[in-house]
Amino acid sequence: MDIISQLQEQVNTIAALAFNSFGTLQRDAPPVQLSPNYPEPVAKSTEDVINVAEHPKIMSAALVKAAKQFDLLVSALPLSEGGEEAQLKQIAELQAENEAVGQELQKQLEAAEEELKRVRELFNQAADNCLNLKKPD
Amino acid sequence: MAATSSSYPPPPPYYKLYKDYLEDPESAPKPPPPIEGSYQLYGATYTTDDVLPSLEDQGVRQLYPKGPNIDFKKELRSLNRELQLHILELADVLVERPSQYARRVEDVSLIFKNLHHLLNSLRPHQARATLIHILELQIQRRKQAVEDIKRRREVAQRLLKESLQISDGRLP
Repeated sequence: MDIISQLQEQVNTIAALAFNSFGTLQRDAPPVQLSPNYPEPVAKSTEDVINVAEHPKIMSAALVKAAKQFDLLVSALPLSEGGEEAQLKQIAELQAENEAVGQELQKQLEAAEEELKRVRELFNQAADNCLNLKKPD
Repeated sequence: MAATSSSYPPPPPYYKLYKDYLEDPESAPKPPPPIEGSYQLYGATYTTDDVLPSLEDQGVRQLYPKGPNIDFKKELRSLNRELQLHILELADVLVERPSQYARRVEDVSLIFKNLHHLLNSLRPHQARATLIHILELQIQRRKQAVEDIKRRREVAQRLLKESLQISDGRLP
């Protein structure tokens, strides 16, 4: 995949990681006491709490890794000298050179076809001579 | 069967105009010229001028500086850092003041829109670079073909000379 599509994919991956992290944390967070008037909420069993506590670390590590990957891809962009005009100038030059080489190719091709025609005639003549010499009379 | 075959409209009658096309190609009407600008198709308006609409046109604030030449790498990297900071801010807001998430979510989506717009504006540059690459390849292939033809012609001429010498030597 070309580099710009990879960059776009990476942006979408970062977005997916972000909203998945927030969604998971919001869904699995244990209840917390908001006001001293209400009783302390019942905490879940310990292994659930332990599992939930690891999620932020794993997910934030994944998010940071994805961001670093994005920076890596950005530095791999082959942005040669800036400027649309420079590119357009290069395209015009290449087109002119292509035209010139094309003309020469055409010339060589025509000369080669001409020579092929002559060689074929010579070959026909030689074959005719051979056949005429060997005519059983 | 007869009902289904007559429920479709007949083809447009333009084919009659081309009755004598084989004898006289000029007697038939010419094809319509290519459309320029915008056109209507099945009730929707399309445009032939495909250009990436700027962010202001879509009502989105542009975070990276405008100007003739943008340093894409620098802007992409700084937008990435901004994105990380805003995600962190969103996490903080959700912990401290959960009711104020909307503003932060808007900021994050703004940064994403800017990122995608910046990447999309790289596409014309990529297209021109691809064109340059194709032209270079084509020039290289043509030069190679010219060299090949030259070499083969030389070999053929040499063989022809040799064969003429041999045949001259054989003739009485």
